[in-house]
Order: sequence, then C-alpha cells, then structure tokens
Amino acid sequence: MISAEIVGAWIAVFLTLSIFSYLYKDNPFYKTAEHIFVGVSAGYWASIYFWTQIQPNLFGRLWPYLPEGQASGFFGKIWYGIYNIFNFIYEPAFPDGGVATGHGMNLVYIIPLIIGIMMLLSVFSKLGWFARWGIAYVVGMAAGLRAYGFLNSNVIGQVKGSVIQLTGDVSTGAIINGIILVVGTIAGLMYFYFSKEHKGWFGSIGRIGIYFLMISFGASFGFAVMGRISLLIGRFTDLKTYGGADYHHASLWLLAIMVIILGIWTFTSKDKDEATT
Amino acid sequence: MKKLADLIIKLGSIDRRWIFIIIAIVVMYPLFKPLGLPIRETEASQRVFDMVESLPENSKVLLSCDYGPSTKPEIHPMAVGVLRHLFENGHQVYVTCLWPDGQFMAREALDQVAEDEYNLTYGEDYVLLGFRPGNEAVIKGIVSDIRKMYTIDSRSIPITDIPMMEGIVNIYDFDFLFSASAGYPGTVEWVQLAADPTGVPMSTGVTSIQVNEVMPFVDAGQVNGILAGMPGAAEYEALIGKAGIGTSGMDAQSIAHIVIVAFIIFGNIAFYLERQRSKKKF
Repeated sequence: MISAEIVGAWIAVFLTLSIFSYLYKDNPFYKTAEHIFVGVSAGYWASIYFWTQIQPNLFGRLWPYLPEGQASGFFGKIWYGIYNIFNFIYEPAFPDGGVATGHGMNLVYIIPLIIGIMMLLSVFSKLGWFARWGIAYVVGMAAGLRAYGFLNSNVIGQVKGSVIQLTGDVSTGAIINGIILVVGTIAGLMYFYFSKEHKGWFGSIGRIGIYFLMISFGASFGFAVMGRISLLIGRFTDLKTYGGADYHHASLWLLAIMVIILGIWTFTSKDKDEATT
Repeated sequence: MKKLADLIIKLGSIDRRWIFIIIAIVVMYPLFKPLGLPIRETEASQRVFDMVESLPENSKVLLSCDYGPSTKPEIHPMAVGVLRHLFENGHQVYVTCLWPDGQFMAREALDQVAEDEYNLTYGEDYVLLGFRPGNEAVIKGIVSDIRKMYTIDSRSIPITDIPMMEGIVNIYDFDFLFSASAGYPGTVEWVQLAADPTGVPMSTGVTSIQVNEVMPFVDAGQVNGILAGMPGAAEYEALIGKAGIGTSGMDAQSIAHIVIVAFIIFGNIAFYLERQRSKKKF
C-alpha cells in the first residue's frame, strides 16, 4: 500500500540527494531541486501571509461578517457591494456576508491596504515610485522599533553586564572572567576607533583587541562547523529512516538510480565537451 | 623524511570531494552503530533546566517556535525537550511562531509531546496560536495586547473561545518565555522587545551559528541560560532524563569534529611544508 507518507518520503529523499549531488558538481538534479525549492518557498510564503494576516486581520477588519441584510445605509450597501465583487471572484477567501474573525469594522485599515497596493505597483516600471511610500513606512517602523531595543538591550544591558562584581558571594574565577571581559571589550572597541593613529600604547591596546576578535571569529567558525554537521546528521537520520523497509528502501533505490544517471550524464557531457572543443 | 613531506603535500591538495566522502562516512557510521559517548551538561543548559524547575506549578509559558525545516535537526529536539519538561511539571504552554514554517514545526512537536506522550487537552493545557507575519511588530503586539495580534489560533478557533486564553492580555500574563530560534526574527528580538523591557524571565535554544551572538545576553543575565545547538539539545535531554534525537546525534557530532580538527591540522602542516619548499626554490 503506497500512502501519502511514503510518497512524501520518496520526494524528501529525492530532493535531499539532489541537493547533495552538488558536492560532486553542478548537475540537472541539483538544478531541479533548487528551482522547486524557490518556487515552493515563494508560493508557501504568499499563501501563509494571505491566510494568516491579510485575510483575517485586514479584510476581517474592513469587511467583518454581518448577517444578511445588516449592511445598512447608503455607505454600508456600497461598501459591502465592493466586497461582493471579491466574494464573486474568490468565495473561499471572501465568504458570504463578510470575513468572520471576531473583529469589528475599522476603516483605518484602508491605509495599510493602500500602502500594500502601492508596494505591489513596483512591478510596473512607470508606477514603481509608489512602492517607495510603502518601503518608507516599513523602514521607518522597523528603525523605530529596533532603535529602542538595540539601545536598551545591546548597549545599556551589555554595559551593565560588563561590570565586575568584586564584593559579595563571588568567586576568584568570576572576578578573573570579569576582568578579561572588560579588557576584551575596551580593547575591541579601541581597535575600531579610527580617529587616532594606531601607534604606541593605543596601537598596543588595538592589537590586544585583534586577539580577542580572532578568538571570537574562531569560536564562530567552530560553532558554524558544529551547526552544519548537525544539519548533516539530521538529513542522514532521515535518509536512514527512509532507507528502511517501511518506506520501500527509498534512500537506497534513489541513491542507486541517481548515481547511474549522474554517471551517464557525466560521460555524455564529457563527449559533448570534447566534440565542441 | 622527504618522502613523508611529499606525501603530506600531495594529500594536502587532494580533491575536496574525498573529504566530503570521509565526512559522510564518519557522520553516518555512529548513526548505524551508536558509540554511547558521554554527554555532560554545561552551565548554560543547566540554567535553562533550573529556570523551568523554579516555575510554580500551572505557570503560563510562552514558547516561540522561530525555526523551520532547514534548522530542524538543531532546534526541534530542544523544543521537544522543553515541552516535555514543561508538561511534566504541569505548566500551560502557549506557542507562537515568528517564522511561517515554525507553525508546522510547533504542530509536530505538540502532536508528539502533548497529544501522544502526555494526552493533554488542546485549549486547556496548550494552545498553538500560530504564525503572524510582521517580525518585531508581532513581538511588540504580544507585549502590548496579544488579542489584537491573535484573534484566532492556528486552528481558526476564536481566541475568546479558548479556555486557557482567559485572562491573557499581554506578555505580563506569562511567567516564562522560551524562544526556540534559528535566526531573525528570533531570540535577539525577543530579548530586545519583550524580555528586557518587561522583565519577564526568558531562556532560549538557538542554532550553533547564533551562539556567539546570543551568549553576551546570557552572560549579562538578560537571558537565563541557553541551549546551544544540537549539543545543547542533547544536554537538556540528559537533564530531563529522556533521550531523544539530540542524544542520538551526538556520537556523530563528536566523531565528525575530531575528523575536522584532524583535517585542519593536517591542512596547515601541508600548507607550511609547501610554503617552506617554495621559499627554498626562490
């Protein structure tokens, strides 16, 4: 019996091996997997954004559900008349009577709707300038949100954290650690101070800063290696699982098939290369 | 001696695909034949464990799953381990996601732990609020008024109909925050916009590559402990006494590290010898 889970496993194995095949060299399997990844990601993100934000939080506030005939007044009838056009175009996203997500009507949300439409206009070269308004809003909002966070957590919080505790219940090791931390922080900052020439005592402190930075880069490299190996372990664990009888030995079959096809492809492309040269 | 130097120089310039094959073999071998290498918990992991242990029973915990399939091997075991610990101690868990695919990761972890292992009730013991786009704006929304950000949960159930959402208005209603993060948006943003400004205690589990970025927050006491990559997950599994995916991967991780260190040393020797020879030539 071939279930959806087994089909999914075979697809997962195929895509994993296709990506791994790049380690041999660029080839059609890798290209196929790469293109599928880009396409699926774009589609998935668009779908998720629409169903989790635009539909419930935007349309749900502009056209909240009203029982039939409750859209009263001239404006209400016109407003829900517009909605009915959307309803006619795509009923699952715009169900009869409005979007029922528990919101009340809030027409301020017309502003993000307009800004959103402006962002989409960037696909037209003549109307592309409209997108700048939306981008300006996003940049301004993100900068405002992050400015406080950075100042509070990355500057003030870190300065507080670098204070050496000398009194109370504190071990000698902790004091030494604190001193190293303070020396490293000051020396590192000095290294990035370019308004004074790095000579003499100032240059020496800068050099100490470089050593601290090098240790930090080394640690980053070590962690990066560890992370990549963890991901490799994850893929191998899945390949091992899917290589079992429950999944009709998907890993083994696909590996064998792909190796044969890659072998043939390499030899035929070699022949072609020789013929062209 | 000259022959040995020749051999080292020759091996130093072998096709990199041989190195890939060797790494693949050493990673794969322990997966088939586990070596059972010991796992020792670090202070950073212990702090996360102690933080969860210190929570009074029936605490409300906000867990943010900010990762996707690409980082699942590192972060998912942490999320599963922390969920096990939280449910074991009888806490209520509220799951949010800043990454769209985090919702699927969270659902998988909750299905495995909350439903299959602990047989808990959705909406009373745990809830998956799901993904909302907006990155920092979502955190800011949770900090100020969670009900404006989430009117429905991931199952499209209105928040007002979920029993455990009663009395939950903003971040101050949670006793603890755990961010399972694989990058932006994630732990750093939770620290900057939620934990630091409000004082809600926070711990985190991050990918190895993020450790250097997040560790200063841990050292400064802004974050209560960190689970660092797959070893962090394995340490947490050891602390709660439930071995999982993290533990099973650690043999492969350790052996692979030894081989990579050997390659680095060997490569440097080869590079040094080659440089000495080229100096002699000129």
